[in-house]
This record gives sequence, structure tokens and C-alpha cells, in this order.
Amino acid sequence: MSGSLFAQGLALGLLAGGLYALLSSGLTLYFGVMRVVMVAHPAFLFLAAYTTYFLHRVTGMDPLLTIVVTVPLFFVVGIGIQRLLVSRLAPESLAMMSVLLTFALALLIEGGLGVVATGSYRSITVEYATSAVRVFGVALPIDKLIGFGIAAVTFVAIFLILRVTRFGKALRATIQHPTAAMLVGIDTNRVRGIGFGIGLATAAIGGAVLAIIDPFFPAAHWDYIGKLMAIIVVGGLGSVQGAAIAALLLGAIEGVVQVSAGATWAGLIFYGFLFATLLLRPQGFFGGRLAERF
Amino acid sequence: MMTVAAARRAAIVVAAAVLLVYPWIAPNSYMRYAGVLVVMYAVLATSWNLVGGFTGYVSLGHAAFFGLGAYGTGILIIDLAVPHVLALAISTVGVVVFAVVVGLAAVRVRGASFVIVSIALVTMMSLIAQDARELTGGSSGLRVPPISEDLDRTSNHLLFFNLFAALLLLATLAWWFIDRSRFGAGLKAIREDEDKAEALGVPTTAYKVAVFALSAGFTGVAGGLYGMWFGNLDPIFVFSIIVGANMVIMALLGGVRHLFGPTVGALIVAPASEYFLTRFGETQIHVVFSGVLLGIVVLFMPDGIIPKVGALLRRFGPVSSSIREETQQELRDRQGVGA
Repeated sequence: MSGSLFAQGLALGLLAGGLYALLSSGLTLYFGVMRVVMVAHPAFLFLAAYTTYFLHRVTGMDPLLTIVVTVPLFFVVGIGIQRLLVSRLAPESLAMMSVLLTFALALLIEGGLGVVATGSYRSITVEYATSAVRVFGVALPIDKLIGFGIAAVTFVAIFLILRVTRFGKALRATIQHPTAAMLVGIDTNRVRGIGFGIGLATAAIGGAVLAIIDPFFPAAHWDYIGKLMAIIVVGGLGSVQGAAIAALLLGAIEGVVQVSAGATWAGLIFYGFLFATLLLRPQGFFGGRLAERF
Repeated sequence: MMTVAAARRAAIVVAAAVLLVYPWIAPNSYMRYAGVLVVMYAVLATSWNLVGGFTGYVSLGHAAFFGLGAYGTGILIIDLAVPHVLALAISTVGVVVFAVVVGLAAVRVRGASFVIVSIALVTMMSLIAQDARELTGGSSGLRVPPISEDLDRTSNHLLFFNLFAALLLLATLAWWFIDRSRFGAGLKAIREDEDKAEALGVPTTAYKVAVFALSAGFTGVAGGLYGMWFGNLDPIFVFSIIVGANMVIMALLGGVRHLFGPTVGALIVAPASEYFLTRFGETQIHVVFSGVLLGIVVLFMPDGIIPKVGALLRRFGPVSSSIREETQQELRDRQGVGA
């Protein structure tokens, strides 16, 4: 493999890693506040991509602007999922049943999208993002750069919400020790609902990004499940930073493998890392203390 | 008055009789085909329940073993000209060995992580099967030659209906024996509290891997039979998450703690999805149906339809706890004291 091809694959992989990082921060939030592995997260990502697509087609709205519609919508849906569905499950079987419940949501969304929008590929092209800039001989497509930028800004925003705001403190307290959080006066149910809302909002933003950078079809969310699950396991379940590092790392490796060995191997890389992590270090490589307990 | 146990025995005999005569009374070829499919799903759900029901480890990726059994058998027949029966046997051994290796890694993690691993497994197999064109034919499919050239469609359906029914009997017997064995008690202890089970001396890893491999073995045989019966393997369908999900839905709907739970679930879900498939054809309504059904089961009857119906019939029956599997009422009935 030539050096320039390697650099090209690496750059594209890192850019894709931005979207992975944003999406895995959502997954980390669900897992943190409820110990729920939200299998439907990528399905919501595709739901958002389709919503973006149809808003763009019908109203002529800029695809990136559609997030002013999808983000509040998904935020409310996220709260609803936590309040109306997940919190109904019996606590002793929550871990298993919540996976099955969100799996059911994923099937519902996939099937629904298939019925409404058919199984064929869709994509959005925006005229300001069709070219590419060249940096040191590496072509960086504008759409992917924009996508990475949006993902990075959102990710930093979520990180700051978690770190500096009062709500973020309450959320982190709920993640660390729900009972103790309740004792110091935190309304943990409210915090959990909002945690879910923010998590699903990452899927809404991710959907707008996905819509402009890649063609999409309903059943493709299964690929994302595998990738994102690998990322949060490698990163250490429950760690936002860990997941982000793992996302960029695996994204970069995927990019390089993609240009050198093809798409199948690039897809398999994630599973290789998933199995290796579970065998060698089940608590993940970049996780915080929370991960140690699982 | 008939006791519960006698009624149950009578119901089993009637159900078995109906099962045996079904292919002869089925009105047309399609109904025979659907019958084979239903029994196959009953086998798959019962095999799945060996892991899911006893240990509480939910595998959404059992289609990986189904597909491996199907492709293993098909490839042995086509590329190495191995006789059908031998090919099935070899590929089943292969599936079991594979399941032991995967199981050693997979059962190290519990709960949600195990589900993730199982999903990853089937997506991985699907990617590999689509890519290895010279072996699997890729997305254009693999044609598996029929067991005998002079078998017409009806006798093909009849033959495989009986083979799947026999396999169902075997899987059900396996479940029945394990349910009553020390091995089964250990598995259930793992389900209730794995740490305590380990502390009490249950060899948890060995037990989990053993039952995982047994379950995968049955699933693999079903896959091999499917390949010979259906004659065409498509990686997207064979290694599909939906097939794996169907096994879980059927077992949960029927009741994972009951011998016939998965079979009852299969009898409900398989005809229903088949109906949606034929009625609405190419649309994805059947996926929506699976999703809605799974959601309803998880939210409203996580113990399945058999306990639900049982409770309805008894009306005033006591609430059974998760540990005690026999109610006082059943105990009295069994001992012949009478209710």
C-alpha cells in the first residue's frame, strides 16, 4: 500500500470516526443512566436520516437545518421511551428485557421505514458540499468535513453539559450511584428521562450528518449496531471519553483497512476488536471506574 | 373430574397426533411448505430455549449456527460430494466445535454484553458468507442438490416435515431430561444468581459452554435440514438477525420455562409472519409485526403465554415466584390429593 493511499484511508476513517463518537456518546448516556444497551439507537439514526431526507425533499429545507425539527422531536421521543417503556420493565431483568425491548423498537423502525420509504438506497446531495479540499495530497470531501465538524461540536457540547452544568452534575451523580443521588435530592427519574432525550438527540444530529455523507437504506442500521457496540465495549461501557477515543481509533483503522483490504474486512475489524476486548479486558480499554463494575 | 396433569397429557397426545397427520391433511403444496416451516421454527425456538430458558442468557444471534449448519452441509455436498447424511453429521460436529470456541469467549460476559456478542456473531457470519463467493456463491445464493433426484415436491415436503418433527421430539426430550437433571439445576441456578451458583460449586463456565454447544448443535442440524429441504441458501436470509429474533420471540411468547413454550410460540408466530409475508408480499410489514409482537411480549407477558393462559384458567391460582416452578396447587394435583 502506498503512503498516500494509507493517508487517504486514515483521513476518511478519522472523519467517519467523528460520527461514531457522537453516536456512541448517546449510547453511553443510555447505558449510564439506566444500564440499558439501546440496540435501537442506529435505527433512530436512520429514522432521522429519512426524516431529514423527506423534509429536504418536501420543503426544500437545507438538510443540516432540519435538525431544528428533528432534535426537539427526538429529545421528546427519548424522554417518552424512558418514561413509558423502559421504566416499566422489572428491575431484576432490566438488562436483558431492555435489550429485547429496544430490539423490538429497532425492528419496528426498520419495518416502518421499509413500508414508507421502500428498501432502496437514498441519498442527499447538497451543492456546497460536492467538492473536496486537498491537504498534503489527501482529498478531504467537504460533506465529510462538515459532518465531522457538526459531530465534533455536538460532542463537545454534550461533554460540557456533563462537566460544567448543574444538570450535568446531577446526571453524573445518577450514573455513579442512583440511590445516593436520590438521597441528596436529585430527581433521578427526571434526570434519567432527560438523559435518554439527549441520547436520542445525538441520533437526530447524526441522522442529518449521515444523510449528506452516505447513501442509506433501512436495513443498514444493523451494520451500525455492530460497529457502535464494538466501540462502546472497547471504550469501556459507560465512559463518554473512552467511547470517543475508541470511535476515532476504530474509525481510523476501518478507513485504512477499507482502502487496503476492502469493505468486508473493514466491517470485520470491529468484531475482531469486540471479541478481543471481551476476552482480554472485558471492562474496556479507556473506561472510567464505572466500567470496572461490569 | 380430570386432573390438570391428565388434561395436560391428553392435550399433548392430541397435539402430537395432529402434528403427525398434518402433512397428509394439508390442502395444498403451499400449506405443506408452511407446515414444514412452522415445525422447523419450533425446532429452532426449542433449541434456543436450551440456552435462553435454562440460563437466562439471551442470544439474538442463533441464526449464526443455523446458517453455519446450512452452509456447512451444502458446501460439503457440493464441493466434496459427501453423501447428504454424512454431510449433515460432519457439519453438525463443526457447528458444535465452533460453538464451544465462541461460547468460551461469549459466556465470559453476562447480560447485555452477551446479547451484543450474539448480534455481532451473526452480522459477522453474514459479512463473511456474502464475501466468500467461491465457497458460498455470495449474494446470488447456493443451490443445494436435493437428497434424491426422483423426490417430487410433495414427498420432499413430507420427508422433511417428518425429519423436522423427529428433531423437534429430540430437542424437546433433551430439554425435558436437562430440566430434571443435576445439570439443569445448575443451569437454573446460573439463571437465578450466577455468583451464588459459582460459590455453591456449580461449574458455571463448563455448564454454560456445554448447554450453548448443545443448543447450537440442534440449531445447526435444523440449518442443515433446511438447506437440503429448501435447496437454496441466501446469506441475507440464512444469517439474518430476523431469524434469530424470531427464535427469541417464539420462545418468549410461549414461555421460556415451559417444555412446550417455544413450540406453542412457533405455532403462533410462524403462521402469522408467513401470513404477513404472503398477504403483503415485498413490503416490510412482517418486520413491523415481529417488532410489535416482541414489544408486547416483553412489556406485558415476559413469562409467556402458557403461564398467562394457565393463570386465566385457574383464575385464583397463586402467584408463582421465580424460584418455585411448581405451585402448591400443582403439587397437590400431582400427589393425587385433589384440589
